[in-house]
Amino acid sequence: MMRAALAILKKDLRMEFRSKESILAMWIFSLLIFVIFNFTFEVSRLVMLEIAPGLLWVAFVFSGMFGLNQSFALEKENGNLRAMALMPVDGGQIYVGKFLSVTLIMLMFEALIFPIFIIFYDLQLSLEMLKLIPVILAGTIGFTSLGTILSAVAVHTRNQQILLSMLLWPLVSPIIIWSVTLTGMVVSGEVTPAFYPLLLRVGAFDVIFFTLSYMLFDFILED
Amino acid sequence: MSVPALQVDNVSKDFGRIIALRSVNLSVNPGEFVSILGRNGAGKTTLLNIISGVSRPSEGSVLLFGTDPSDHDNKAKLAVISHEMFLYGNLTAVENLEYYAKIYELADATQRIQEVLNDVELTHRRFDLVSTYSRGMTQRLTIARALLHQPALLLLDEPFTGLDQHAIGMLISLLKSQKELGRTIILTTHDLHTAQELSDRYVVIAKHRIVKDGVMAETSPDVLRSEFFSAIGGEDDS
Repeated sequence: MMRAALAILKKDLRMEFRSKESILAMWIFSLLIFVIFNFTFEVSRLVMLEIAPGLLWVAFVFSGMFGLNQSFALEKENGNLRAMALMPVDGGQIYVGKFLSVTLIMLMFEALIFPIFIIFYDLQLSLEMLKLIPVILAGTIGFTSLGTILSAVAVHTRNQQILLSMLLWPLVSPIIIWSVTLTGMVVSGEVTPAFYPLLLRVGAFDVIFFTLSYMLFDFILED
Repeated sequence: MSVPALQVDNVSKDFGRIIALRSVNLSVNPGEFVSILGRNGAGKTTLLNIISGVSRPSEGSVLLFGTDPSDHDNKAKLAVISHEMFLYGNLTAVENLEYYAKIYELADATQRIQEVLNDVELTHRRFDLVSTYSRGMTQRLTIARALLHQPALLLLDEPFTGLDQHAIGMLISLLKSQKELGRTIILTTHDLHTAQELSDRYVVIAKHRIVKDGVMAETSPDVLRSEFFSAIGGEDDS
């Protein structure tokens, strides 16, 4: 049933591994953010612990924007977006394929940049840190589920990057803010009872964004 | 009586204040080769977009094989060749074709890929990235991609643009063989000579309407030329 989605995913990952265009650019951009903030502000470890979660998500989402723009720019090239509209498959399948590829590429980049973040901000590794896995997963899925459909909308315009930012930020802000809060709890070792309900809220937004995007993607592909 | 491969009834299309098509009627029988002739901006590409289901008409209706063009069954029977390649430069020819074979659920994908690559004489470059191909080679691969799933209806939007003589000859020969296989083919072109060589029927679009619908066998090259130029003669580009 999801053969088209898997074909799109395989094609996107194959192209990304061949060029490494997105992951490399995202990684370098995030590294710059960490370096600049780390050497610009001389603050105590306590203050650093407070700002580090925000910096991590700034790196994730700004780099993620690059990945989103890149994902549909590739489809626009040579008319492939039109080819997708001509395919004998639901728009939802195309959405799932693009969503999975953007999400996997972003998660791979996050896995590569996270150790750098730990080193730069001198964070202590502990089992408690494993709680960051569902936080990063939920925050990233929320960002990419909405970002994928809005990127498909924006790619039809001349100012693709500006439009994507204008459409995405207001809608995805709650997810990012909650993800920063959750990351802060884990990094500072103060996971309160509010952690799980908040994580659940991010997950609920993920489900809503994903379902709506899946249902609406057919309309995006039409002229 | 068989169901027409294509039935366009009273189709109009506008983009805001810009009119692209006005009350177009066209019926194409299965196996027929129809050339749509007209100047740039006459509405040929818009008509093909509506036929392929990518764009919806503002008024009127289109049926492919008796059903809506956006039906998945219809989309599986359709292939479009245009100036857009529908290929990924960062994949090889085989990888591009494998991708489309999965999308179109081809059972004998490996064999079909070999066949179409052989048809367009690209077997020797099958493992090279498409970005390293010349324009003519890329267009030949585009043709292979379009024929991969053996479509019942081929829509060709000025496919000869930018091709060298070798590629033009190959495309003409492939179109002839597709016609012999009973495929329905709709071609938009400026090239009256090629249209005359390939088509059973021709329609001329001018001022966003079909102004002439004729049988090619009953029309000499001179008559076709004079009919075409008299039809588009008074047209402006608005």
